[in-house]
Amino acid sequence: MSVTERQHTGLKSSRFTVSRGLITVGVAVVALFIVSAIVAPSSISQGAILGMLPFFAVLTCVGLGQMLVVQQGGIDLSIPGAVSLAIVVVSRIPNGDNSLLLPAVLLATGIAALAGVLNGVLVGLLKLNAIIATLGTNALLFAVVLGISGGSPTTTTRALRDIAGGLSFGVPNSVFFAVAALIVVSLMVKKTVPGRRFEAVGANPIAARATGLRVRTHQAAAYVWAQLLYCLAGILLAGITAQPTAFQGNSYLIPAVAVVVLGGTSLLGGRGYPLATVVAALFLSQLDQFVLAAGVPFAVRSIIQAAALAVGVGLYTINWAGIRARLGHRRRAATAT
Amino acid sequence: MAIRKRIAFSAAAMSVAVLALAACSSGAPSSNDTQTTGAPVEGAPDWCGPNQISLGLLDGFGGNSWRKITTAAGADEAAKCPSVTDYQYADGQGDTQKSIADIQGMVAKGVNALVVFPDAGEAMLPALRSAYQAGVVTVPYRVNPGGEDGVDYDAWIGADFTTDGENWGKWITTNFPDGAKILFVSGPKGNSQGEDELAGMKTVLTDPSYEFIGEQPFEPTNWDPALTQQVLTSAIAKNPQIDVIVSDFGPSLVGALPEFTKSGRSIPALVTSDGNVLGCFWTDNQAANPDFKMMTVATGNDNVRLAVQYAVAKATGGVLPDTTTFDAPVFEDSVSGTPNPVECEADLPGDIFLSAEMSPEDQAALLK
Repeated sequence: MSVTERQHTGLKSSRFTVSRGLITVGVAVVALFIVSAIVAPSSISQGAILGMLPFFAVLTCVGLGQMLVVQQGGIDLSIPGAVSLAIVVVSRIPNGDNSLLLPAVLLATGIAALAGVLNGVLVGLLKLNAIIATLGTNALLFAVVLGISGGSPTTTTRALRDIAGGLSFGVPNSVFFAVAALIVVSLMVKKTVPGRRFEAVGANPIAARATGLRVRTHQAAAYVWAQLLYCLAGILLAGITAQPTAFQGNSYLIPAVAVVVLGGTSLLGGRGYPLATVVAALFLSQLDQFVLAAGVPFAVRSIIQAAALAVGVGLYTINWAGIRARLGHRRRAATAT
Repeated sequence: MAIRKRIAFSAAAMSVAVLALAACSSGAPSSNDTQTTGAPVEGAPDWCGPNQISLGLLDGFGGNSWRKITTAAGADEAAKCPSVTDYQYADGQGDTQKSIADIQGMVAKGVNALVVFPDAGEAMLPALRSAYQAGVVTVPYRVNPGGEDGVDYDAWIGADFTTDGENWGKWITTNFPDGAKILFVSGPKGNSQGEDELAGMKTVLTDPSYEFIGEQPFEPTNWDPALTQQVLTSAIAKNPQIDVIVSDFGPSLVGALPEFTKSGRSIPALVTSDGNVLGCFWTDNQAANPDFKMMTVATGNDNVRLAVQYAVAKATGGVLPDTTTFDAPVFEDSVSGTPNPVECEADLPGDIFLSAEMSPEDQAALLK
């Protein structure tokens, strides 16, 4: 496993370090909101923002989960199955009965933990290729989705609709869940001993093994934490859409990877940047809203989202200094002849 | 030589006879047909003839509540005819190859009539044609497989989405005589259902005071509730006035419509297709939203019944239905109350369709 070298080009003070990813994506978000205000003012109206925030919350949870996996040098492609399964469990099992909602949520959490353990064992312990193993798990999760629902989740319970889809103090409730997820992930990873070990393993597994850390356990555990976050995303999404399909998770696979990359976490593993990931989720969600409000045709919308991902990957993974140096060298060579 | 001549002659004679028979059976329905094929079975509908047959119902994808109810409706319709002595069902599970193999398997087993939901469209045409050529009464329904009636299959019993559009348009002209701003949301970009519906609406809404807002010909939502919600949020923010929302999949709007309330506006008029969840949503929200009128057309579970009637009539020698097109009837109208006021079965699941012939309780039992 290759280990990336990180450069601290960001702002530093004695207590806080602001990552390069956070600066980049933060600037991008501010720029996007300014462009939104000029080009399509309706996309930053109160209604549009309130409509965008719940989907931002869902993307935040999915993105944080993917970030934990990616920072261990893995990737999790079981998101569609995981999110869809959580949706189906919390809408099918209660079948409109509010009193069954809590058991259903617990069941969904349990299933998510199991799926995470499966991924963790396959990838972390047995060292299978993460892409293949998690795709397999994804198929398995969809089999359970179809088994429970026959392809059709029913309407979600009223309680879930009120909890996940409602507003408190003028803010969608789902946002509070997303912020809570961000705080928990940040504190766990940055402020606890196991969290610091987890991040050390991601940054350099070889060195981590040499210092006696349980590398495989940490790598496997990443998939479990991730599944729990996908499960939260699914439960929120069920309440937000009220009448979800059984395949609602399908549209979250690419955006989940995109926010991790845009947030500056390297696909090769290394440090994770929870706050930057969340800001990137805000960026993508607002981008969706902006292209819709700007009246861009449907086909172009997909291209713009793909372009955002490409720019994100390009920004962090291409060795721009090297390219500049090479171009400069060539130019000098050209002027010399 | 003589033997060859005799073979050629008898072959020619046979083909003439076959042609004559075919002409007889595929002729337009008339009272003569019933006389030549015998009286219909007593106590059964007139499309149920006396010849005993086995019937196969094939689904391209059977895995959602609409399909489950539709399949059960097909079985229910076939059960009305005692001449159908054997009934079989196969689910293609969304796999085109399996759907084709299902058709071939049923033909090999010797069924007399096939009713097929050809989800894969034209990819199903060769299999349908070979079943038809093997002498099996072949009736595709709902999705157009291409091809021609009487050449590739007996008849395609399609849904006429233009009629839906016309019904919606008429309701809009009645309730908004001075013009309206209309937002039309449909499924994936370029889907023919949405285009036909728009064409139907435009034949009625000819006055320039009726304006379609948003992306043309319709706002694509992939019939996905999450995307529908985003599209609607954006449309609400962008357009201070939306008088009517037209959608060809009403239940997917249930999560999206509260966006109007969140923006401090009344939910506008909605013309769409029915679903129990939507009826209940209207019942719960109409008091707080003065502009929330609703009209629905039937979602069309009973399309399959017409297809079964046609296939059974053809194979058993009954009276053919007088149409091969299923026109979804207007189902609910919250303004006039005709043919029905908005209906809600709050105690039953949201994803049943009260417009279907099957009773709501039976549908609910199917979905358990």
